[in-house]
Amino acid sequence: MPNNNPLQPKKAVIKKVFKVTPTEKMFVISFVDPKDQEEFERNYTRPARFVQVNLPGIGEVPISLCSPPTQKGFFALTIRRVGRVTTVIHNLNEGDYVWIRGPYGNGFPIDEWKGRDLLFLSAGLGMAPLRSVFLYALDNRWDYGNITLINSARTKRDLLYYEELEAIARTYKGDGVKVIQTVTREEVEGVCKGRCHLYIPQANVDPKNSVVIMCGPPRMYQSIFDEVIARGFDPDYIYATFERRMRCGIGKCGHCNVGSSDSMLYVCKDGPVFSYRQVQRYPELME
Amino acid sequence: MRYLKLRYEDRDRLFEALRKYGEIYGPVKISKKTYDFRKVSRFDDMDLNYVRTISPPKKFVYPPHEVMFEIDREKGKVSIPEEDMGPIVLFGLHHCDIEGLKRLDSVFMGYPADFYYSRRRKHLFIVGYDCKPDEFCACNVTHTSFSTDGFDIFLHPLPDGWLVRVLSERGQALADEIGMEDASTDDFKAFERYQEERRQGFKWDMDAYVLRGVLEMHRHSDVWEELSEECLACGNCNTTCPTCRCYEVRDIPSIDGVHAIQERVWDSCQFEHHALVAGGHNFRPTVADRMKNRYNCKISPAYGTNLSYCVGCGRCTAFCPAGINFWENLQKLSEVSKHAK
Ligand SMILES: Cc1cc2nc3c(=O)[nH]c(=O)nc-3n(C[C@H](O)[C@H](O)[C@H](O)COP(=O)(O)OP(=O)(O)OC[C@H]3O[C@@H](n4cnc5c(N)ncnc54)[C@H](O)[C@@H]3O)c2cc1C
Ligand code: SF4
Ligand code: SF4
Ligand code: FES
Repeated sequence: MPNNNPLQPKKAVIKKVFKVTPTEKMFVISFVDPKDQEEFERNYTRPARFVQVNLPGIGEVPISLCSPPTQKGFFALTIRRVGRVTTVIHNLNEGDYVWIRGPYGNGFPIDEWKGRDLLFLSAGLGMAPLRSVFLYALDNRWDYGNITLINSARTKRDLLYYEELEAIARTYKGDGVKVIQTVTREEVEGVCKGRCHLYIPQANVDPKNSVVIMCGPPRMYQSIFDEVIARGFDPDYIYATFERRMRCGIGKCGHCNVGSSDSMLYVCKDGPVFSYRQVQRYPELME
Repeated sequence: MRYLKLRYEDRDRLFEALRKYGEIYGPVKISKKTYDFRKVSRFDDMDLNYVRTISPPKKFVYPPHEVMFEIDREKGKVSIPEEDMGPIVLFGLHHCDIEGLKRLDSVFMGYPADFYYSRRRKHLFIVGYDCKPDEFCACNVTHTSFSTDGFDIFLHPLPDGWLVRVLSERGQALADEIGMEDASTDDFKAFERYQEERRQGFKWDMDAYVLRGVLEMHRHSDVWEELSEECLACGNCNTTCPTCRCYEVRDIPSIDGVHAIQERVWDSCQFEHHALVAGGHNFRPTVADRMKNRYNCKISPAYGTNLSYCVGCGRCTAFCPAGINFWENLQKLSEVSKHAK
């Protein structure tokens, strides 16, 4: 039934399920009605927007798109099993249905970055939304300068898309794309040791003409802001994504509100991506 | 806008003429000290000298509980329940409640418009009614003490009837139907006297725009611990607020396993779960954090406007079981910042 209800979930089918880590699975999904798929693709132009995934009678959760807008005919979500709804989603198989609405949120302003080098800093599940940005940049390789992606997690098993990123690094070797993968809790072969920001000096980017793109637990953001600014990165080109409890995704239910009496915002609608300048304006984002 | 006059003896004619705009709801005394908007069948059923109703008019357009979708898993169908509300006349809304609806409109009818709110909102015919403040009223503080839009007609008491401000097209038609005369110079004088008495009645001398700065100064202060000491986190202040609008979503399966519904219910930012996310992290774990958030949210500008969400109706204070006084607290915060080094 066509209507103008922005909360209307659309039926979608799971095409493929990949086990990405012991606690995360990637679901490749497409809408059952091609019109819904088309509408989704029309609205998904900036990477790292998110969707609401609904299981009738069970619940609804916000999940970032980990596939870039350049991939058509499907989209992908990487979901960590943490609670009630995500556990049920983990038990779904190829051919099962889910209900989707979105895409929501602002995504990264990637068009404003043309001609710049890109430095990605990810911790843990942060790599899911960053994957969509990274793959988008590779699909539009000519628009951007050198690219470094630093992916970090506790252990090698927890590194999201480890194999995929290694393969990309091999493919783009000599083409200005560098991938560094690092773990904090163990010493193993094939990966570096320590937090992601330790490897910023090894990035192949020119600080003055770069964009810093980060996603991870917010407590890592302040030290990275300080560090990259001290290293001469342009404070006008630093971005991070933020998370809050979300119910509607469109600025109505009030759950994701952040701010103070002269600057209230909704993370779902005004974010979840914010620039460093916005973080200065809305310091509550960091609290 | 036309300024007309309705004579006291013509009140039933107005009431009868209003019936074609919907079922009429007005302020009614429901207990010794409490008023609420209820369905009324005669003009004189209403207690128009009320100060505030316990529940704000938001429930008419944004009910406490609303089924959004009915899902049939076997057929793979998601449907929207039929509309369950017809046209309604809200009679006797004070300035604050009219302003309150405007604040809700800014959120729910701002892009993308909320389907359920919009389909109810178009049914409302609003009759405003002037009032004198009590000790909990502070629409002077919030710049909402005199509505110039957001209603169809607005009644101001005169010694022998009402001065009627007629705003909307439907209001014009209604005025013509009853045959209201133009207001006279004496009527305007009486209206002015009433406004003067209203102005004298306001107890709180603050300015919501300045309070934004005051709250900003208290972002990290300990004063919130003190102010929230007695708070029960019961959420009454949200339920009774004409502009509080947070909702929780519930997905409920039916026993047959085939059908399910998704509904929304009013939520409260004073409840512990409001900013709780998976993994147990809570962005506002303490009562003090949540009180601070409510004060900030209420004084902050409504979406896409510079108007504060708080419209000064005084309900959160009048109906707080712990006796927490919103205005007194804001005044305390202003005092603290005045004396801050
Ligand atoms: C913009 C955004 C993007 C996200 N992207 C991803 C992603 O790509 N992959 C991923 O695995 N997770 C992501 N999350 C987190 C994910 O939404 C939560 O893990 C999920 O809601 C937990 O639901 P649950 O029922 O399994 O957990 P429970 O702990 O049982 O949660 C109960 C309910 O609380 C609410 N809730 C709990 N945690 C969150 C949260 N962090 N955000 C919003 N609502 C919450 C949900 O409504 C949930 O149904 C994202 C969150 C946001 C806000
Ligand atoms: S009504 Fe009073 S006691 Fe209840 S949450 Fe609000 S301030 Fe606290
Ligand atoms: S915050 Fe209190 S005074 Fe202000 S509109 Fe809400 S209930 Fe009324
Ligand atoms: S999720 Fe509802 S307002 Fe942001």
